[in-house]
Amino acid sequence: MPGRFRPLIAVPLLALVLAGCADDAELDTLQPQGPFSRAIDDLLNPVLIVAGIVFVLVLGASFYMAVKYRVRNDAEDEWPEQTHGNTRLEILWTLIPAVILAVIAVFSTATLFFLNDEQANAITVEVGGEPVSWEPEVVVVGQQWWWEYRYYFDGVDLEGVQTAQDLPPADIVTATQMVIPAGQEIELITTSRDVIHSHWIPALNGKRDAVPGRFQPWLIEADDPGVYFGQCTEFCGLSHSRMRMQVIALDEAGFQAWVDAQTAPYAPESEDAQAWLAQQRALTALAEGEELDEEPLPAPSATAVERGIVTFRQACSSCHLVDGVNDDIYTGATVVSGAAPVLTHFASRTTYAGGIFHLYEPDGSMDENTLEAWLRNPPAMKDMYAPTRGMPNLGLTEAQIDDLVAFLADTGTPPSDWAIAESEVE
Amino acid sequence: MAISEFPLELESGRPAVAERPLGALTRPRGSQGWTSWLFTVDHKRIGIMYGAAALFFFVIGGIEALLIRTQLVQPDGNLLSGDAYNQVFTMHGVTMIFLGAMPLGAAFANYLIPLQIGARDVAFPRMNALSFWVFLAGGIFINTSWFLGGGADGGWFAYAPNTGLVFSPSHGMDFYAIGLQITGIASLVSAINLIVTVLNMRAPGMTLFRMPVFTWMMLVTQFLLLFAIPVITVALFLLMFDRLYDANFFNVEMGADPLLWQHLFWIFGHPEVYILILPSFGIISEIIPTFSRKPIFGYTFMVFSGIAIGFMGWGVWAHHMFVSGIGPVSVAAFSLSTMFIAVPTGVKILNWLATMWGGRLRFTTAMLFSVGVVSMFTIGGLSGVTHALAPADTQQTDTYYIVAHFHYVIFGGIILGLFGGFYFWWPKVFGHKLSERLGKINFWVMIVGFNLTFGPMHILGLQGMSRRIDTYAQGYGFEFWNLVATIGSYILGVAVLLFLVNVFSSWKRSKHEAPVGPDPWDARSLEWSIPSPTPEHNFDETPVVHGLDEWWHRKYGVDEDGKVVRLAHPEEIAQKGDGTGVHLPSPSYFPLLIGIGLPLIGYGLIFSLWFAVPGALLVLGGIYGWVFEPPDDPDAPHGHEDHHDVEEAPVG
Repeated sequence: MPGRFRPLIAVPLLALVLAGCADDAELDTLQPQGPFSRAIDDLLNPVLIVAGIVFVLVLGASFYMAVKYRVRNDAEDEWPEQTHGNTRLEILWTLIPAVILAVIAVFSTATLFFLNDEQANAITVEVGGEPVSWEPEVVVVGQQWWWEYRYYFDGVDLEGVQTAQDLPPADIVTATQMVIPAGQEIELITTSRDVIHSHWIPALNGKRDAVPGRFQPWLIEADDPGVYFGQCTEFCGLSHSRMRMQVIALDEAGFQAWVDAQTAPYAPESEDAQAWLAQQRALTALAEGEELDEEPLPAPSATAVERGIVTFRQACSSCHLVDGVNDDIYTGATVVSGAAPVLTHFASRTTYAGGIFHLYEPDGSMDENTLEAWLRNPPAMKDMYAPTRGMPNLGLTEAQIDDLVAFLADTGTPPSDWAIAESEVE
Repeated sequence: MAISEFPLELESGRPAVAERPLGALTRPRGSQGWTSWLFTVDHKRIGIMYGAAALFFFVIGGIEALLIRTQLVQPDGNLLSGDAYNQVFTMHGVTMIFLGAMPLGAAFANYLIPLQIGARDVAFPRMNALSFWVFLAGGIFINTSWFLGGGADGGWFAYAPNTGLVFSPSHGMDFYAIGLQITGIASLVSAINLIVTVLNMRAPGMTLFRMPVFTWMMLVTQFLLLFAIPVITVALFLLMFDRLYDANFFNVEMGADPLLWQHLFWIFGHPEVYILILPSFGIISEIIPTFSRKPIFGYTFMVFSGIAIGFMGWGVWAHHMFVSGIGPVSVAAFSLSTMFIAVPTGVKILNWLATMWGGRLRFTTAMLFSVGVVSMFTIGGLSGVTHALAPADTQQTDTYYIVAHFHYVIFGGIILGLFGGFYFWWPKVFGHKLSERLGKINFWVMIVGFNLTFGPMHILGLQGMSRRIDTYAQGYGFEFWNLVATIGSYILGVAVLLFLVNVFSSWKRSKHEAPVGPDPWDARSLEWSIPSPTPEHNFDETPVVHGLDEWWHRKYGVDEDGKVVRLAHPEEIAQKGDGTGVHLPSPSYFPLLIGIGLPLIGYGLIFSLWFAVPGALLVLGGIYGWVFEPPDDPDAPHGHEDHHDVEEAPVG
């Protein structure tokens, strides 16, 4: 038993050691990048050491006995001293683990209550030119199989809100990636529109379940600007493995710039498109029986972006919103959760479709091929139960796809080069 | 005890002679041929059938595990579709827990408890048959879902609302909800039966604190089952009504709270862990003293720590819900209770080590497996402490770190122990040993495969690999250890195959070998005082018990210097197995009929109520016939001289 057993036993132990050394693991729990994940790490490390010592002692005792007391001759009829027990010894080794655990429990409980703080310190953000004192607060909504992030600069009033479907309109709504100021506590209020999901950015804190009908507050914080990876960790059905997200932490100026960009609705450059959208808006606003007293404008078609705006408004409005294009007719998504990713400022994100595709190539150019393939047949690109739970194949023509891609590329400025680079999985 | 000595009589003194409940049909008789297995009420045959059926399901669950590991061998695996993967991992969990590990424990309990307490059979032999057939029917029912629209796809934990009709429209979760209610009946019947058996049927002198630790652990297990099964049955019942009859117990839109399911499931689910592991603790508590040639160290501590685990096991369920949003006070309370349940478990580990200390250790296969349990379970226990730290658990939960943890507990702590039990009691059950040579190879291959499979999962989890994902992308650093784990899983598969080969080859070989004696291991408890294989009637005469380790004390004494001296050889003092006049409970059709009826009702609820009609008739008819059937067949020959004036007739 002894010699050959040892390396095998060492595997799990060695495993724990090696895990700390891996540097290419984007989701590594042992490389904290913020105070909350660091508090967890500081709690776990000494316990791992204690556990390692206990493990070595138990194993050591087993091996020692296996060597020392082993009898090779099965027929031998020798009997050792027949000890039946030793109450004092047994009480001792009941107490020793109890005391060790009691000590660990003190630190564990202290950390628990440190982590349980759920109010973030206020920071000042300019919204629409006005400085606002904001206790950073982001409502995180999970649904099959992507994450939505809702920013409320006046705070969110959850009074009377039963489920995530009833959430009030937000100042910024984004999908799949959350942008936060670095070095600030951010309160996340986690919930779900369908089944239970779990929001987890290992570098910034542990995870919290997104439970439909519940709003769970907690904090994350990133020390420095950077991109932090996440993955849904509560089994949520077919594409659970393809429900990913990223947190992008920006410095103060960068975050302010992001807020400025995101709070503005989409405005096309083309005047034809502006005029057409304005007229469409006026048409929507008409009461029944009323008629518009101006000539209907032809849909703009001079550029791909113009055609893309028209196509988007006609083909995508039953699920997707771009503020400034179809907000007048958008009434939510015709899927079980009632929500599809809001695409306002789509081009400012690094990933889409639940965080599984990168919008930009490492060189900063848009990866149009993947986006086109996605629009051509989404269920072929990601397991979904379209059309009730996921994006169906809309049967778009190649021309429509090209136009939509052009329009989507026009919805915002690309993220900075470093964000694109860091959001790649190495 | 009493049952083996007297024919059963009604209290009025009137002999229990009843009409034939089925008119023209006669009651099954005899102990030969395959039909005798179908209608048997013999606890030993039922134990063997439990073991065989559970091993069959264990192999199915293992194949599912290999599919999972093959899918994950490299990034973006596409052996299985996402949908198929979800079914496979769900059914792997359901099969291994409910149809593999639990009934394996039941197999040992059924076979050994009556023997260890010196009883003729369990208290209610027909109920015992009922629990087996109902378990088997439920297990087959759940697995037929593969051919009827797909297996359950919501995870064995089946969190609402993902298991509702909207999110899981196939029939898989219906099979889960109904099938587990059926197997739950089996567990409940068996629990009550074995509790009554242990409390009422012990041989004269066998006080509770002279019972072997195995029987004690099994008794605690049965109490856990008795209280845990109703809880999950409630949950499954609610789920069934949500799915089949538009109830709204878990419908969030109607104001339901999905955490209701989690509480119900884990109030069952955590004691379930102890339901699984206490039998294994019991098994190795028999094996380690035998092969250390020392009595168990601190018998009383061992028993009370088992009881303590049984009680504390009810106070830790919410540690599965640290990130569900149950509030900081609940989290803190359950975090503390979870840490402190490590204390009685730690006591057991140390007592096993102390049993070995200073002993004369014979490393038979059974002993290897038992020492394997002590060391591998320790790893599972220590990683368990790391997620009793609620803050750390928020990083670990639902990652592969947890998968690693509970496989070290369930495979390292439970399955290794059960295999040890197979090697230990095989000669008692079948009259020949399993090959020790092959057995030791089996052990080493298994321990290597096991550690290669589940050891790397600790790393994967800490590196952030989520559980229950059908694929993972390249670049997260998961590639290497997943490859290792998959290789390990195939080695593990080979180990299970080696066991089956050993079973077969040892059976072939045994035909040319002298039978093993009653006590091939020089063991300690009463089951070794009767021939191997156990005669149909167990004990020729009811043993009278004078102390713990009764059988050992009949073989050995201790002289004035404290030295052990042999008093007798086992062959001299073991019972001969030639007892006459032992009254045997009679076989019955009805447990099997009820067992067949229940899944038909299940199909009826899912597909068309017409299927339920024959099912209901079988169940009601079975109960009806059972009620009017006397426990013993007055027409059957019992060989009891005081019994009816029936001639010893050849049995047909």
